[in-house]
Formats: sequence, structure tokens, C-alpha cells
Amino acid sequence: MNNFKNIFVYSLLILSLNNCTDHVDYEAIENYAITAEVYFQQESDYEAALVGTYDPLQWMFFNIQIGAIASDLSLCGGESASDYLGLQEINSMTHYPENDVLSNVWRWLYEGVNRANYMEENKSNIEFDGKESMYGEVYFLRAYYYFQLIKFFGDVPLFTDVRLTAGDSGSLSRSAASLVYEQIELDLQNAISVLPASQSEQGRVNKFTAYALLGKVLLYQEKFAESAQAFDQVIGVYSLVSDYGSQFLRFGENGPESVFEIQYTNQSNWYDWNCIQCSEGNYGIIMNGPRGWSGPEYAQGWSFNVPTEEFFNSFADGDTRRDATILDIQAFADQTGSSYTEGYDHTGYFNNKYIPRAGESGGQIELNYLTNYRIIRYADVLLMAAEALNRGQIDDATALQYLNQVRARAFGSSDNNLNVSGSALTDAIWLERKYELALEGHRFFDLVRTGQASSTIPGFISGKHEVFPIPQQEIDISGLEQNPSY
Amino acid sequence: MKNIVSLLFVYFSFLLSFHAQDLSGLISDADNGEPLAGVNIIVQDQNEGAVSDFDGKFKIENFESGSTLVFSYVGYKTLRLKISSEDFLDFKNINVTLESDLSELDEIVVIGYGSQKLSDISGAVSTVNDDAIESVNPVRVEDALQGQASGVNIISSGSPGSKPTVLIRGITSYAGNDPLVVIDGVSASIDDLNSVNPNDIKSINILKDAALASIYGVKGGSGVIVITTKTGKRNSKTSFNISTSTGFQEVVKKIDVLNAAEYVAILNEASVNSGQGIVFPDISGYGLGTNWQDEILNDAPIVNHSVSASGGSENTSYYVSASYTGQEGVVGDGDKSFFNRTSFTTNIDTDLNEKIKLIVNTNYSNIKGKSLPENGITSVLSNALNFDPTVNPYKESELLLGSNGATFFQEHSSQNGSFGTSETITQEIVNPLAQIYNTYNQNKVNKFTGKIELQYDLIKDLKVTSRFGYTYVDIYDKSFVPLQFYGIGHNQTNSEPDLSPIVSIDSEGNSTSTHNRVSEGYTNYFTYTYELYGNYDFSVNDLHNFQTVAGFSIGESKGGNISATNEDVPFNSWAYADVSAATGNALQQTSGSWQYVNRNLSYFSRLLYDYDEKYYASLTARIDGSTSFGSNNKFGFFPSASFGWVVSKEEFFENLPIDFLKLRASYGSLGNDNISPQFALISTFPSYVLNGNIISGSSLGSIPNDDVSWENQVQTNIGVDTRFFGNKLSLTLDYFQKTVDDLLFSPNLSLYLGTPSFPTTNIGSTKSSGIDANISFNTNIAALSIASNLNFTTASNEVVSINNGDKYIWGAGYGIPYRPIVRFEEGFSPGYFYGYVTDGLFQNQTEIDNHASQTTNGTFPGDIRFVDLNNDGIINDSDRTKIGDPFPDFTIGWNLNLDYKSFDLSIFTYASVGNDIYRAYERNLSYTNRFASVLDRWTGAGTSFEEPRVTFIDSNNNSRASDRYIEDGSYLRIKNIQFGYSIPVSVAEKLGFSQIRAYMQIKNALTLTEYSGYDPEISVGGVLNTGIDYGTYPQPRIWSLGMNFKF
Repeated sequence: MNNFKNIFVYSLLILSLNNCTDHVDYEAIENYAITAEVYFQQESDYEAALVGTYDPLQWMFFNIQIGAIASDLSLCGGESASDYLGLQEINSMTHYPENDVLSNVWRWLYEGVNRANYMEENKSNIEFDGKESMYGEVYFLRAYYYFQLIKFFGDVPLFTDVRLTAGDSGSLSRSAASLVYEQIELDLQNAISVLPASQSEQGRVNKFTAYALLGKVLLYQEKFAESAQAFDQVIGVYSLVSDYGSQFLRFGENGPESVFEIQYTNQSNWYDWNCIQCSEGNYGIIMNGPRGWSGPEYAQGWSFNVPTEEFFNSFADGDTRRDATILDIQAFADQTGSSYTEGYDHTGYFNNKYIPRAGESGGQIELNYLTNYRIIRYADVLLMAAEALNRGQIDDATALQYLNQVRARAFGSSDNNLNVSGSALTDAIWLERKYELALEGHRFFDLVRTGQASSTIPGFISGKHEVFPIPQQEIDISGLEQNPSY
Repeated sequence: MKNIVSLLFVYFSFLLSFHAQDLSGLISDADNGEPLAGVNIIVQDQNEGAVSDFDGKFKIENFESGSTLVFSYVGYKTLRLKISSEDFLDFKNINVTLESDLSELDEIVVIGYGSQKLSDISGAVSTVNDDAIESVNPVRVEDALQGQASGVNIISSGSPGSKPTVLIRGITSYAGNDPLVVIDGVSASIDDLNSVNPNDIKSINILKDAALASIYGVKGGSGVIVITTKTGKRNSKTSFNISTSTGFQEVVKKIDVLNAAEYVAILNEASVNSGQGIVFPDISGYGLGTNWQDEILNDAPIVNHSVSASGGSENTSYYVSASYTGQEGVVGDGDKSFFNRTSFTTNIDTDLNEKIKLIVNTNYSNIKGKSLPENGITSVLSNALNFDPTVNPYKESELLLGSNGATFFQEHSSQNGSFGTSETITQEIVNPLAQIYNTYNQNKVNKFTGKIELQYDLIKDLKVTSRFGYTYVDIYDKSFVPLQFYGIGHNQTNSEPDLSPIVSIDSEGNSTSTHNRVSEGYTNYFTYTYELYGNYDFSVNDLHNFQTVAGFSIGESKGGNISATNEDVPFNSWAYADVSAATGNALQQTSGSWQYVNRNLSYFSRLLYDYDEKYYASLTARIDGSTSFGSNNKFGFFPSASFGWVVSKEEFFENLPIDFLKLRASYGSLGNDNISPQFALISTFPSYVLNGNIISGSSLGSIPNDDVSWENQVQTNIGVDTRFFGNKLSLTLDYFQKTVDDLLFSPNLSLYLGTPSFPTTNIGSTKSSGIDANISFNTNIAALSIASNLNFTTASNEVVSINNGDKYIWGAGYGIPYRPIVRFEEGFSPGYFYGYVTDGLFQNQTEIDNHASQTTNGTFPGDIRFVDLNNDGIINDSDRTKIGDPFPDFTIGWNLNLDYKSFDLSIFTYASVGNDIYRAYERNLSYTNRFASVLDRWTGAGTSFEEPRVTFIDSNNNSRASDRYIEDGSYLRIKNIQFGYSIPVSVAEKLGFSQIRAYMQIKNALTLTEYSGYDPEISVGGVLNTGIDYGTYPQPRIWSLGMNFKF
């Protein structure tokens, strides 16, 4: 009897003596979670955050599709007219603010911006060797994310000091592209001043990557002289590979022509369809593959981004870039006794630069293609430098020489070299970009930048389609002003 | 209802002499003959009385012959017995039996930290007793609630052991609508009901309104299901109860799809319509082909066995039981789809001394299951509906060349995995038999639940209860994805035709190959609650009756998981499928783990008062603290009050033809705490590739909201209970209204904030209102006893506001490409269907030209015309609207129980009216099969106004989410018929039993519905995923035979 009395007394005592409310306090460490409060206390935290800032580069797999589908080079394709409706609409220039592909592009680029800003926010916590150079990479990445945002959407909200939190939702408005460009240039100049000429690890950006991007950013603003100066720093640092097609193969990755390349691998063994961007592989690749392919060399895909017959036929005789760029699937199937099935908008052609190749994936095959995305190649630098020199009326001779370097490699000899100047040279450079950089995600933006879009792209409306619409969700939530005519 | 009409057992003696004499006798239960202790015996009109002792014996001194004795006992019908010496020769052996009173109004309702007579309750409650559960003979307890209790909506699936959607009084929350489950005072969840043996349950009480549920505070917002399990009776010899039933399940309805001959003809037409050639030049000789539904739907067994023993001595009682339930799936076969549950229950209570009672309840359950893919475009049923009917189930037998050089004849069957394949379908859809063959998984659950409780009669009328309740669950699961072959070039194929890995050589000559894969995981949950409370019940002047309780509760719930995956299982065989046996290298092995903990601390109190059982009032309050709440809102307060007035006790009421009339009203607040603790967390998930290696990085993964708090729900209830015709007809009617003003949401924040997970915040409100009604009728006509019960449930729900960006949140969607279809949106009912509105078909080009532009890809005569709702001349996403609601306008449950001598019959009918269904099981590939409705397609102007032309290129996007796929899912279903026969007691007793009953049961006997799919009752889980038919797992018709033995 006494025992039970004691139990009651004890339990009452214990519970009343303890401060009961402690029971409902909770610290994240109970479940081994790291909180922001204990982070950025050592160098390795900064290194990890930098890797985290690179990470959203890998989410840009739609770039290849959109740059080509929106242009005159390829059709959307896919399984049916409603497969990836967001891309189908971009193909036919009927896209409007509700577009899940564009929403992802917008959100993912901003995640990159926020990750860079989060590092900026914590920059002065501790000091260590190499921090400055590390922040060079951060600034480069932020500049790149903002540049992409401008290319896609025009004026965009600009913020640089901190990672935004929930309270910042709906508080920002769009900044003029010129202001964003200013920030991009500033970030790139800052990056150039601290980045090394070379990095020990493939995939990290260096001083010349930053110069190349700076040149491109300036070219987009038609600041030709400054652009040419920036490109001049890069000329000669890289070189053209002799076999054009080889650089798009696995062994050609991070080669002498590669200036800026997003890194992917098939090692992550990723299986989760609910987070396609979580894979370390390139999701953009499976989209471009031939449907139901059963045969050598390639692997089956979803038949998106199919080049038009017109484009295939427009390559000049002897241009080695045609077959490196476009796969004639019927010819290849006949040659190898293979089979495939036709998708929507079947043209018989596929993007041979970014295409699923046998044995290059792992885990869930669709999600893990190792193919890197070559964002800036040296050939692009040469053509951009040529354009800056030519359009800035600085030096047509050098411009022509850069152009002919590219052509000579493409045709395997200097027989097809051109000799033009002035606006004819401008046209030649622009045309060269079409063939040299085809299906790499540049064409649509080049057409817009050079004012050729409305004459080239069916359905393109001037004053509207130069930029994509701001995602409707962002309009609804943040009250941003929509782009004209959307 | 099986009670025999009250019997009076009279033993004769031969002596009758005195006018007034001592009287004694024995009182026992009419049902089982067990003696009843504590029965009140009063001599009418006198002040004398007695109480029966532990052996059921009683004694009254100086009893006057001719007086009337009144026997009353809680839970039993009061018996009045005139005892005169003409009838009773001996007053020493007056043996009386009391009949338990199942009349609902005197039922004892367990209301949380106490109990009350149903007639005393001033809140809204529904009750289901063991008889009702027995007559349904359910696999899961929830099945027994469907249509049995008003205000409760159960939507279940036919998949073995699956968890149904349970809604008590509508939908108020986005964060979760599962009611709280309390088993013998211990908090649990709906998920825990998978381990409860329905035969162990004595009663289920559903606390619906704030007055009753607010004693559970923040957990009570979606209602509370209070389950009381059986206990033994004191002073009774052991009684055994054995029940066994066995039966089989069959799928009644099949969906009409094209047969092979129709398929080839339609495909030719579709191909020609899309500008391509004929695909089957010779369409003769195809015949019916394969009906894949016939191949995969099987009759499947279901068995149920349980045995229990209960009894008690003077100071201890016990109930022990063991049960086994085995259900195989009707889709696939029993090797791949089943639910087996074995459970053991021991409930013991014992008096440690005069003042302290110890109660120990222990339940152990073991659940084993396997399942096949359900509810999606890759489910077995979806494959059966979409796969090519011209393909044979198995490859034709063939002559093969053996390794010894001789040829041999290879028979193909499921045994060697040589299934028929399609050359034309290369996406997702596969031979469903092959899919079943290639699906390997298993799930094992070991679960301990129970409580240890001490009840201490501290002083007179004050009882202190100290209770420790726990749930411990271990779950092991394993799955194996073998190398499988569905045809060359098929995207689900990962092996060569002989099931060897596909080896690919890349440009550098490196080879990679496909792999099989095995995953294993252990998950463990432990939840405990300690509660200490006192009940103080007292009366003042016998008129003012008080029942009070106050106490506190402290608890913790934690769980963790560890899992591992590896590739290259030897022999591509399930027999070797284990991480330990798999030979994958370090890169192929992956592992993972997670854990959580959450704790709560609560204080609660309740005062129940009545004045002479005429006026009732209650006050309840609970304070809840939780680790889930933000640091600025750690504790929530949930009060409620209710009032009741038994009008029929008023004098002015005496002459009215109403036996009983009570009015009730309640008002109070409840909560919902489906949120997790929030922090600014660093995610170490991001990574990037440097130098060809994956390098781990970090980013800010989540952003906290320190202000987040529970959803606060305010509920008002008005009710009336009344009885007529000598209590034969009773009616209970309740109207409720619920509002939630702090609806929890993951907010839609500006997209420029990036991708971290944003904090759940209180940014919305909902409103629900509805009526629960219940009418019971009980009567006897000669030997026929009739008990009938009709209940009616309705709830209308509206999302009043979402202060969140775009005012809506997408719920479920379907198909490839994915089309979202369900929305939770401001101004609409939660979880409604959203899509385009169709307006027939374009009959000619002029109609197309005169209509808004639907697509730039091409619209042709025979395509669907969509309504341009905003009149902007373009059909796009802005032209979508509400096209359906998956929740019924009302549901009705009707029970009819008849007893006639040794026979009993119970029939339960359920109707759901106004629920829409969205058909989402069509894959829409060029070569996938189509539904028979295609035979009525458009083939030229005026040929059809509903079914569009067939084509391989759906350039008009006819398959967009639209009302074309909405059907009325209203149905009436005879859910259960049970017909029983009890062997006469005299015969049974000779055999040594107190009862032997045999019965035949048919579940889902008949369904009346217009719906074209398998089953109009569709639950995938959760409010935002209800009513979408992904090829839903049909509820089978179940035929079973059963026996009950009691001794």
C-alpha cells in the first residue's frame, strides 16, 4: 500500500519539480540536423556552400531544348502534341505565362542566385587562405545565373546581399535589365580580379571563363569595344579541336576548346523521378533520344528537339558539322539494322550533340546521363570576338581571321574561307554561329539579340517574344509586372 | 440483438407460509448466465433495498408478499417483478436474469477520461457496438464504421489491408483530416487500426462535436474515434468464444475494352486519320484476342479465425484472444498480393487491494503483406486495360536448340517468365502478367500496443488514474526489381530477352550493364503517453450531480528508419534478393536513414453537471503544448461548453405522445497540429561534379516560421434526441458548423526565393456544415424481433480563404504527360476537380473556324470543342474551371436486423449520392487499347456528338483534363448480408456449448451505379487524392461461411 502511495507521490513530485514546459522544447540536433546558426564556422563549410552554388548549373538542362525548339532549327517532338505542353507551346510561339518549364527555369536560376547570396551574407564570418579566390567563383556563378535570367525574362528582380527569406516574398519588383547588367559586370570584374588562371579541378571556373562570359555579356549589350577587349584576354588561351564532332563525345569533355562546361556524371545512381534535378546526371539528354531505339551506339529517348529537314539540308557541302550535329536516324538504322519508333513531329533527325549514347547512364537510365553541357566553347569565343570587332568597327581583318579559323576547322581545310567585310562579315558571322553552335541552346537567343527573330521564327511576334513571360505564379504572388503582350 | 426475451427462471419449492419473510436469490446475465454483482434492488414504494454481492446474490429482509422488486443495473434493462406467494413457493431462491439493454440511449459512452450514459450526453456522439461489428465481420475496423455511424464518411479501397479515407464531419483541413483514434484511453492513429482485431472490440464511440472532442484538444479537430476493447467479467467462469469464417472474393464487374478484332480496325482508322498508312493490312483472324482483365483478376480467398477466453475471479478479470486474418488480392495472385494479420490480446485487471486496481492491456500484432502496383498508369489494372489485346499472354511454344546440340520443345508459361510482348507499345504499358511476375516485395510489421493503468480510489468519490500507454512498431520491408523484359526497345525493359543484363559499350570501349536491384529498410516507431488524472463524482441533495475530471498528459513519439540498396542479386532471383547477397560494388550500394521526434504536454479538465437528469451542462478545457509549434506559440488552449435539456421530463410534457425529448447545444474549439518543428536547416544534399567526382555541397534547405501555430477550429453543434411509440422509434438529429481560421499551409511564396522548403504557416480558413441524422426502430412482433437503423450524413465544405499567392494549391493529377486535376482553392469545396469544359464535337470545318482557337497544332472535324470560358478567342489554361467534386452530397446507411427464433438476418445497405469520379486510366498511346465507347466514335458529320474521332496524333489535345472524363459516381450498394442460424440452446448445451451459430455472409452483394469503371468507391488516400479512378482496386464481392462457438 505504501509503495503505491509512494509512486503517486513520486510521480507528482517529479513532474511538478521538473519544469514541464521543457518537454515541448525541441532542438534540431535531436535529429542530427545542422542549423544555419552553427554553419559557416570553418573553411570546409564555405567549400561545401560553394559546391552548393555550382549545383543549380546542373538544373539548366532545359536550356538545350528551349534554345533550339524556340528557334528555327528544330521542332518540339515528344510522344504526342501534349507531351511537355510547356515546350510544345514554346515551339509554336504560343507560350503564355502558365508554363511549368519556364517556371522551373525561373525558380532554379533564382535558387542559384540565392545560394551565391547566402555565401555573400556569410562572407565575413571567418578568414582563411583562398577565400578571395573562392568568392571569385561565387561572383562568377551569380553573374551567370543573372545573365540567364535576363536572356530569358528581360528585367528581373535584383538582390545581392543576402539569401531571401519568407518575409521577402512579394516584396521585390523587377529591376531594369541595364541595372542587372551592371551588377553582372561588377561581379565578373570582381571575379576576374581574384580568380586564378587555371583551376586544379575540372569544372571550376577560372579567370578566362570569367573574361569569356564578360565578353558575351558585353556583346549582348552591344558594348563592342569592351567586349572585344574582354575576349582578347581569352584568345589563344584555348584552342579548337581538330575533329569538330569529337568534342561532343564523352572523351571530348573538358577538352582544349572548353571554356565553360557544366559537369555531369552517371555515378550518382539516381532513381527518384520526383526530383529530376537532384540527379548528378543530365536529364536534358534523354529527351533528345530516338524513341524505342534498339540498336548500337545510341540509347532510346523521348524524341524531343527534332531538327528540321530544312536545317539538315541547309548545311554546305563538305561541312563536317552536319553529321556531328544531326543524326539521320533512318540512315543510321538502315546501316546498322536497328529499329526505332516515330514520335510526334517526326522529322527523321535528332540532336547528335546531346543525345543518349549507349552505356553513358546509370541508375534510373533516363535521369543519369553523364553528358556535360558545353556552355561556352572556344569557337563561340572566336565568333563572338569576331562579331565584337566587326560590329564595333574595330578590326574586320582580325574578325575575319577568327571566323575563318572556325570555318577551316569545320571544313577540314581553308578552301571554304571567306573574304568579306563590313555588314557582309556581320552576316557571315551570324550565319556561322547558326551552324557552328547549332542545337547547343544558343540559336533562339542569338536570333533575338541580332534582331533576326521575327523574320526567321514562324509565329514570332516582335515586341513580345524577345523575352519569355514571367511565370504566372510569380505574377500572382509577387505582383510583378508581366512582359509586354503576354 | 440475439438476446432472448427476458426470462424469469423460477424454481419451485413446496413451502409457503409466512406473510412477510426474508427473500434471497441470484441475479445473472440473461445473455451468458454470468452472475451480476452490484445490481440495485429496491422494493417499490418502500425504502428498503439491497445490492447484489460478487456472486450475484442478494437478500432482502422482511419482504412482504405481493410487493414489487425493481432490479436496476447500468447497461441492463430495469426489471420490475411482483413477487407473491401464489407464484413463488419459496422466497429463498428467487433467480432473476437481467437483459442487457442495447437501446442506444442507455449505452455507456466512453468520452475520454471518463464515461457517461448516452442519454446524459449533451454533445454529439455516434456509437457502434460489438454486434454491429460482428455482423460486418470486417478486415479493418473502419469497414465496420461505414454507414453505421452518422457523421462519418468512410471511403475504402478493395486492396487487401489498405487504409481507407475516414472523414468525420467533412473536410476542414489541408494538413490532414485523419481523426484521432483512442484505444482504451491510449492515443493512436488511423494507421494503427490495421493491427486491431475487430473481434476484440466491445464498442466504438465517435466524438463528433467540440464539447466531446475538446478534451483531446489540438488532436481532436478531425473528430475522435474511441475504441473500447473487451474485458472479462468479475466472478465468472471462463467463457470461450471461437469464431471462424472462410470465403472467397470475386470481382463482379469488368470494363468493356476493345477486343482484338475491334482493336485492329480502330487502329487502322486512327492511323489513316493521322495521315499514315494502314497498320494492319489484314484484319481478319484476330477474333477476341486476349482480355487482359480475365488474365489478372482471380477469385481470392479470405479467412478469419479468432478465439477468445474471458472470465474473472473475485478480484481479477481477464480477456485473452488470438486471431488470424488472411486476405489475398483479387488482382494478381496470392503469392504477390496479400494481407495477413495475426494478433494476440491480453486485457487483465486486478484489484491490488481494496483501493487500487491495476489494468494491463497488451496487444501484439504481426502483419505480413505483399502488394502489386496500384493506382497509377503503371498499375496492374491500368496495364490490363491498356495493353494490346492481340498479344498472347505467353509466348507461343517454340523449338529451341539445346546446349547439347539437340532441339527441344520449350513450353512457355508464367513459370519461366516467357510472356507475350508487344512490338508497338514501347512506353510504360506492359503485359500485366509479366508485370505481376516481376513484382517482388514484402512488408512485415511487428507491433506492440497496450497500457498499464492504476486506478486508485483515493477518498470517497475521488478516483485517481495513472496510465502509461505505448505503441511500439517495427517494420521491415524489402523490394526487388529484377532484370525484366517487356519487348525490345520498351522503356521498362532492362534486360535482353533471355533476362541477361543489357551490356552497352560506350565510345571509349567501356562497358556498362543494366542491373537488378534490391532494397531493404527497417523502420521503427515508439510512442508513449503518460497520463495522470482524477475523477471526482458527487451529488448534492441527489439533485445536483457532478462528474469532474482534471489531469495532465505527457507524451513522446519518435521514429527512425535505416535502409540500404544494392544491385546485382545473384541469379536475378527473389530467393537471393537481399542486400547481403547482392554483389554490387561500393558505388552501387546506397544507404539512407531518417528520424523524428515529437513531444507534447497537455493539461485537461472537464465538469459535467446535471440537475435531476433534466438539465445538463458541461465545460471542458485542454491546454496543449507541442514540439511541433513555433517557439512563439508553444501552448494552445481549447475550451468548449455544452447544454442539454430533457424537455420530456418537464411537467407540461407529460401528456404529449413523445417518450423522450432532449435538446442539445455545444460550442467549442479544437485543433489540428499536423506540422513539424521548423528550423533554418543546412541541407547537405546538394552536390556537384568536380574532376569527374561527385562532391558534396550544402545550401540552406529550410526557413523557419517561429509564429506557426495549430489550426484552431470552432465548432457549433445543435442536436435533438427523441423517442416515440414506447421508445420503439428513436431519432437523433444534429446540425454542425465548423470554421477554421488558421489553416496550415506550406505557403506559395515568391519563386525568386528559390527552392528551399518554406515554413508551414497559418494562412487560410475553411468552413464546413452539415447534418447527421439517425433513426432507429426496434420492435417485436411475436417471436420476430426487428431492429432497423437508418442514418444520414451530409457535409458541405468550402475553402473560405487562402492568403497565399495564387489562392490555390494543386492536389493530385494523373497520366503521362502529367495533368493536374485536383485543387484546394479559395471559394471552392476542398479537393474539387478542375479542367476544361467540353461542348460536343466539331462536326465540320466551319464550326472550327467559328470557334475560339483551340490549338496551333491543328483542330479537325470530329475533335472536341472546348468552351472558351473567358471569351478571349483562345482556349488555354485560363478556360479551366470546376468540373466535379469527388465528395458525396450525402450518404445513407441502412441496417436491418431480424431475429426469428433461431434465425437471424442482418442486411446493410449504403448509398453515396453526388460524388463525381474522374476517369484517369487511359494511357492514350497510339497502340494502347481503347474503351468500347470508341466504337461510337465520330466518323463524319453527324455520326457522333460525344465520342471524338480516333487518331494517332491528338493535335487538338482531346485528352486534356476535361469534364469528358467526369462521371457521376453515385451508388447504392448492399454492403453486407449476413444470415445466421443458432442451434437451440438446449442442443448446444448438450454438446457442451452455450451457443453455436452458423452464418452465411455476402459482402458487396449488389451495387447499383451508372459509373462505368470497376467501382464507384475510390480512395487512394487523402482528401486531395479522392475520386480519381486510376484503375482503382475494386472492392470484391465476398462470399463467406462462418461459425461462432461460445462455451
